[in-house]
Amino acid sequence: MSCSGPKLPKLVEQAYEKLPKKVDFNQDIKPILSDKCFICHGPDKANVKAALQLHLPELAFAALESSGKFAIKPGNSNKSQLVHRILSDDPDIVMPQPESHLKLSDHEKALLIKWIDQGAKYDEHWAFIAPQNPQIPEVKLKEKQANPIDNFILAKLKTQNLLPSEKANKEILLRRLSFDLTGLPPSLSDIESFMNDHSPNAYEKQVDRLLASPHFAEQMTLDWMDLSRYADTHGYTVDRYRDVSPYRDWVIEAFDKNMPYDKFIHWQMAGDMMKNPTKEQILATTFNRLHPQNQEGGIIDEEFRSEYVADRTNLVGEGFLGLTIACAKCHDHKYDPISQKNYYELYSFFNNVNESGQISFDSSMPVPNMLLPKQEQEEFITYINGLIKNKEKAIDNIIISESKKAGQWLESQSYQKLNLKTWPSKLIAKVDFLNGSLNNALNPSEKGKMKRQHSPKQFPKIVNGFSDRGLELDGDAWLDLDRIGVFKRNQAFSIGLRIKIPEALENGVIFHKNIGTRIYNYRGYHLALKENKLEAMLAHFWPDNAIVEISTKEIPKNKWLQLTMTYDGSSKAEGLKIYLDGEELGTKINVDNLYKDIIYKQSNEPGLQIGARWRGKGIGGAVVDDILVFDKTLTPLEVVQISDVKQLQLIINKSAEELTLAEKEMLKEYYVSNYSKTYRSSMAELAAIRKTQVDSLERIQEIMVMKEMREPRETFLLELGQYNQYGERVYPNTPENILSFPDSLEKNRLGLAKWLTSKANPLTARVAVNRYWKNIFGTGIVRTVEDFGNQGELPTHPELLDWLAIQFIKSNWNVKNLHKLIVMSNTYQQSSYTSDVFLERDKTNRFLARGPSKRLSGEMLRNNVLAASGLLNRKIGGKSVKPYQPKGLWKINGSTYKEDKGEKLYRKSMYTIWKRSVPHPTIATFDAPDRSFCSVRRQETNTPLQALVMMNDPTYVEASRVLGYNMMSYSDPKAGISDVFKRLTGRSIKNEELNLLVDLQLHEFKKFKSKEYKTEGWLNTGEFRISDEYSKAMVAANAVVASTIMNSDAVITKR
Amino acid sequence: MYVKKGNNIKMCHNHDSLKSNNKDLQEIEKQLSRRNFLTKTSMGLGAIALGSLLNAENAFASVKGNNIDVTKADALLKSYNKNRLGLPHHLPKAKRIVYLFQSGGPSQLDMWDYKPKLKNMFGQDLPDSVRQGQRLTAMSAEQTAFPMAPSIFNFKQHGESGAWASELLPYTSEVVDDLCFIKSMQTDQINHDPAITFMQTGNQLPGRPSIGAWLSYGFGSDNENLPTFITLITKNNGGQPLYSRLWGNGFLPTEHQGVQFRSGKDPVLYLSNPENYDGHDRRKMLDYLGQLNDLQYDAYGDPEINARMTQYEMAFRMQTSVPEVTDMSDEPDYIFDLYGKDSRDPGTYAANCLMARKLLEKGVKFVQLYHQGWDQHVGCPGGLKHQNKLTDQANAALIKDLKQRGMLEDTLVVWGGEFGRTVYSQGELTETNYGRDHHPKAFTMWMAGAGVKPGHLHGQTDDFGYNVEKDPVHVHDFHATLMHLFGVDHERLIFKHQGRRYRLTDVHGKVVKDILS
Repeated sequence: MSCSGPKLPKLVEQAYEKLPKKVDFNQDIKPILSDKCFICHGPDKANVKAALQLHLPELAFAALESSGKFAIKPGNSNKSQLVHRILSDDPDIVMPQPESHLKLSDHEKALLIKWIDQGAKYDEHWAFIAPQNPQIPEVKLKEKQANPIDNFILAKLKTQNLLPSEKANKEILLRRLSFDLTGLPPSLSDIESFMNDHSPNAYEKQVDRLLASPHFAEQMTLDWMDLSRYADTHGYTVDRYRDVSPYRDWVIEAFDKNMPYDKFIHWQMAGDMMKNPTKEQILATTFNRLHPQNQEGGIIDEEFRSEYVADRTNLVGEGFLGLTIACAKCHDHKYDPISQKNYYELYSFFNNVNESGQISFDSSMPVPNMLLPKQEQEEFITYINGLIKNKEKAIDNIIISESKKAGQWLESQSYQKLNLKTWPSKLIAKVDFLNGSLNNALNPSEKGKMKRQHSPKQFPKIVNGFSDRGLELDGDAWLDLDRIGVFKRNQAFSIGLRIKIPEALENGVIFHKNIGTRIYNYRGYHLALKENKLEAMLAHFWPDNAIVEISTKEIPKNKWLQLTMTYDGSSKAEGLKIYLDGEELGTKINVDNLYKDIIYKQSNEPGLQIGARWRGKGIGGAVVDDILVFDKTLTPLEVVQISDVKQLQLIINKSAEELTLAEKEMLKEYYVSNYSKTYRSSMAELAAIRKTQVDSLERIQEIMVMKEMREPRETFLLELGQYNQYGERVYPNTPENILSFPDSLEKNRLGLAKWLTSKANPLTARVAVNRYWKNIFGTGIVRTVEDFGNQGELPTHPELLDWLAIQFIKSNWNVKNLHKLIVMSNTYQQSSYTSDVFLERDKTNRFLARGPSKRLSGEMLRNNVLAASGLLNRKIGGKSVKPYQPKGLWKINGSTYKEDKGEKLYRKSMYTIWKRSVPHPTIATFDAPDRSFCSVRRQETNTPLQALVMMNDPTYVEASRVLGYNMMSYSDPKAGISDVFKRLTGRSIKNEELNLLVDLQLHEFKKFKSKEYKTEGWLNTGEFRISDEYSKAMVAANAVVASTIMNSDAVITKR
Repeated sequence: MYVKKGNNIKMCHNHDSLKSNNKDLQEIEKQLSRRNFLTKTSMGLGAIALGSLLNAENAFASVKGNNIDVTKADALLKSYNKNRLGLPHHLPKAKRIVYLFQSGGPSQLDMWDYKPKLKNMFGQDLPDSVRQGQRLTAMSAEQTAFPMAPSIFNFKQHGESGAWASELLPYTSEVVDDLCFIKSMQTDQINHDPAITFMQTGNQLPGRPSIGAWLSYGFGSDNENLPTFITLITKNNGGQPLYSRLWGNGFLPTEHQGVQFRSGKDPVLYLSNPENYDGHDRRKMLDYLGQLNDLQYDAYGDPEINARMTQYEMAFRMQTSVPEVTDMSDEPDYIFDLYGKDSRDPGTYAANCLMARKLLEKGVKFVQLYHQGWDQHVGCPGGLKHQNKLTDQANAALIKDLKQRGMLEDTLVVWGGEFGRTVYSQGELTETNYGRDHHPKAFTMWMAGAGVKPGHLHGQTDDFGYNVEKDPVHVHDFHATLMHLFGVDHERLIFKHQGRRYRLTDVHGKVVKDILS
């Protein structure tokens, strides 16, 4: 007891006396400060009370603003206001304040006081100091030391006065090992060969066998699927299917090849940014696109786009760094030294993806994405792209050679004979509102109609037009030209119209072929007024799979203009032009990346619509006239013709000498385009090849990937985390309190990936080995696998954690080696028998005086019965499947689950379709996360609903029947039961168990024999049919025996 | 009946075997003496076998009625055996709740929030002074005009309280004196997914526990044979999609998630044994299973083995109790008549309301109904007629039925959606038709029963039904109030997750004292 200290309340004094000699900051003090004080006096500087921050010594020791006294006076608890405040009874004075509902225990008070008495020494947070190679402790029990892991464990056990357990029985151990490494039970022959192998390295042989199995890669992948929030649907409300299984299969392959963990992270974080990236490297980046995406029609695009960026940022925290970085999205982190600015600096790494927050309201794959052609498709595309290139070259040559003829045509002034009374060729529709008609004047059976969202009865407002009558638009209703204007991206077309735009109108769609706006990501094309400029767009999926260009100049208002958009079918921005009054407009190309078609391929394919659109801003108050649609690219001269025929008249009246150079060029182009047969036939051929190319690309699978924008998007700190409340501009950087971002690294995702796995990074390796340790032992060395920060738990074995992390890095991040190291330890191989001593002293087995035991996961339970019954389909990878599921579950989400048939019913559980909004109950009932966000630790509960799954889910009933049926091949029922028991539990049956089950079998048989109808469910649930050769009663009785074993602890728990 | 023997005897007396298997809860449990644990806790579905241990009955028996002597209340609270979480914090009024969630956002303007002045403003543009630059959804934000659409339905005052209701609600109009209307509800969210998630979990993004999960975590069950938190969804009604995280446990232990009861053979997933294998057969099988597990316990000494067997026994009891409670055949005709014709058709809203009453009667703490289809962007009048036809009579019937059974006093009934609808028409406005977009700034909910003022009106909107003029009630406030009625201080029912203390109301929420009786 310090002599200078204040008088302590009795209970605190008693607690003080019991304290260890030396109080440790990281162990004893910081958890209290963090949990009870930092909320008001921690790193979040915007929410600090009384200007006091306790997370850093220089701040904590400073004079208090209010009184000039000191919160903490090192070595002097009496002069430390903190001490008086925590001891006070006065609700106005006591800390923590009563309103916080936080309280300090007497023990905690005593600790704080003693710490101050001892000098209030601060230490850096353990997890932010890079691991130092610890000394391997010397311990006595040599026979218990299989590798250094055991030294660390034994040393700690000694301090706890606990003795390690015996080795587990071989059968039990093999089952444990098989599930841990492959998610599957050992087969009978696996068991037999291990039991018969008495060589000293018998166990190691099994370890090596399992590590080499592709099922090891699958098991590692399943863990990664939780972390990477892998799902088969988009999430949020609409939650439609999208296939991202190629990514999952890449992960399997990566684990199978034992890709170093650092490389594994690099590829997923930034494979696309590597030098000449391979398809696989790009595919790996799907990792950062697996977050939920919203299809709901009313959302604001930017709101959700920023949510996706935040999700990627948060995953770096929870998944790789073991930090709750997400907390700093709206304010400085309350507990850890991560500022809000740090957060948005990290966020900026992920903010350069040309994606949309609102994804298409159909099954189109969001952008950016990558095509995944099969080999034959790839070959075909290469071939056809070659054809197109050749054809384009040939056409260039034709143009050159035909230009000579054009020159002669010019010289002979034949152009003066052009008939200006007819329209340019290939005019397919003309709507001129003559007599108020909305129909195609060329073919009056093609009727135009006014439409408005949800209001089919609309009437046109016919007013004075450019010539005769025109159509005035109200901004909500549009003129729908039905099937006119349906063009694919390989088709050339041109659309012109006259328009008078009111002065005040700055935005609005002029014409388009879309359904709404973002709801289908602008699929189709449009010409729109955008902040007084013109935007021309062709899109498959805005913003990345599209051509978007915008005029450099603003366009005049309140006067008649003639606008024309021409497109040449090339899928290139170069081939998309806009003209104002016959003159081509300069444009800025924002996106030039159209590689899939611009039509919907559905029955209600929209056509050309004028003046407004569904859920989109129209051109209220504008008048349009003379809408012309051509199914060819108009040449500039023809654009002049439709814009102002007098203008053209002036040109052709000129003699050849009078023509300007530009006019000559226009005339030549016109000549080649209209008079050259070779040119026209070659163009027709090119069009045909393009059509084949475009149609064949449509069938190719796409997958979302990361792709950096050419110019990074500017990133700002978002005040309160609100998508539209910009604070200061920020740039890519990492939290300096964890590890500053070195200048040597690229300031982009690739640099971030390297930073994560740099040797100096204190967290990544520790967090990874801890997660793998948790997978095997059930609990991490740091229990809070997701949080290594101030609020996380301290490691039980800090030196072991560091040693493992360093081994992991030294081994070149070798995942298989790490697993081998762990499972080869004696600690892992111990029996899990729970003695009363253990129950009392270490109920949750944190010190590992016994081996791990754990309920099998939902996936493993199902795998187990499928494997035991022989139903399991061991195929690896491919699209997710739909095994048995009660009817109608997906109905709440407006969709239908159609069960698969045949062998797809029996795939390993990891391939069961993962619908975020309605998780599959066979698996989800056993604490699977919903994978809407990163999850590195599953809950462990025990509920009656789990019992119902195990007893009655068709998967389990069917497997029971198959096992029961298999038992029939044994003439001795005891042998049959023993066999099934071993298949299901991995161990030999004990006599008492056998007697019980024989008894049960007999009982059930008698019952089924006398009441055969009772066999109905057991014999007919599920698809698998058994032959009639055996007695129904016997098969059913056997099935009940198998089911009983299935439901027993010997199956459910991995021991 | 299987008699536990050997080590299983221990199970009945050793609280360890009854503990939640959840690691996060074990810390709390550790601090409780065995006796306290046995007498004071129940752990939700995970350990429902503990039964009704809150001693709530006694307290309720003595505090029924409205005039509680304060000193007596204090004494009562002291005599309460607070459970492991220190609940209740104060005397509860509500023992159970039925939350009639109207998914999609019902139009307050056509049902409850009468705005007579709008009649003269038909078709006029919503004034900017009213809209005040408020965010609109991407569905109507680009409209050139926002013509105001007065309701085409007639409104009348009803009951002694004189509450306004439109002609769409002939049945609920009859019970307005039992209802407490909050016309000043406000939410932060304007789209379905974030708004429903917000209303059900207090946060707009996925990941937080739902209200029911919080109550289950706080109180556990009053019936050892039924889940604490049950969800019922109107069948075949369509509308905005639902998703199970709305009744999910978030970061709370899985046992606290809502269990969806469905109409048909298996009200709870996998409840039915294989065809023709009956309860007696299952009993026998479980007896053998118990013995098999006893042998395993002998070998491993792991209390988890017994804990799991307890769950099997619970599952077995559910196999009986759930079909019993969901069997409507014992309901007399006048009850079906009260709820309406649909109530004979399992899975309809009316049948679910009746089912809700049965579940509440059996001690289920939280019954949440979901009724989709309130998203009247177009054809609002027609859509509302249809929706109310499906729900109005049953809502009123539920109130009457609870009342006649004396249950309304300690049962909280909540009706409402995730937001309201705009006064302006989405799409074209005509004399007979209009659509309404989502509107977060003002909407109506009603509550009834336990601890809520009957025949009361709280809050007021402006003449456009657009902004709240008086006594706004934010979603967080609604949550705080709901918790309050259960005797919970919303700031103190917390769960530590990822280093942070979470609660239903995040860092917000005020109890709306004015609506408390």
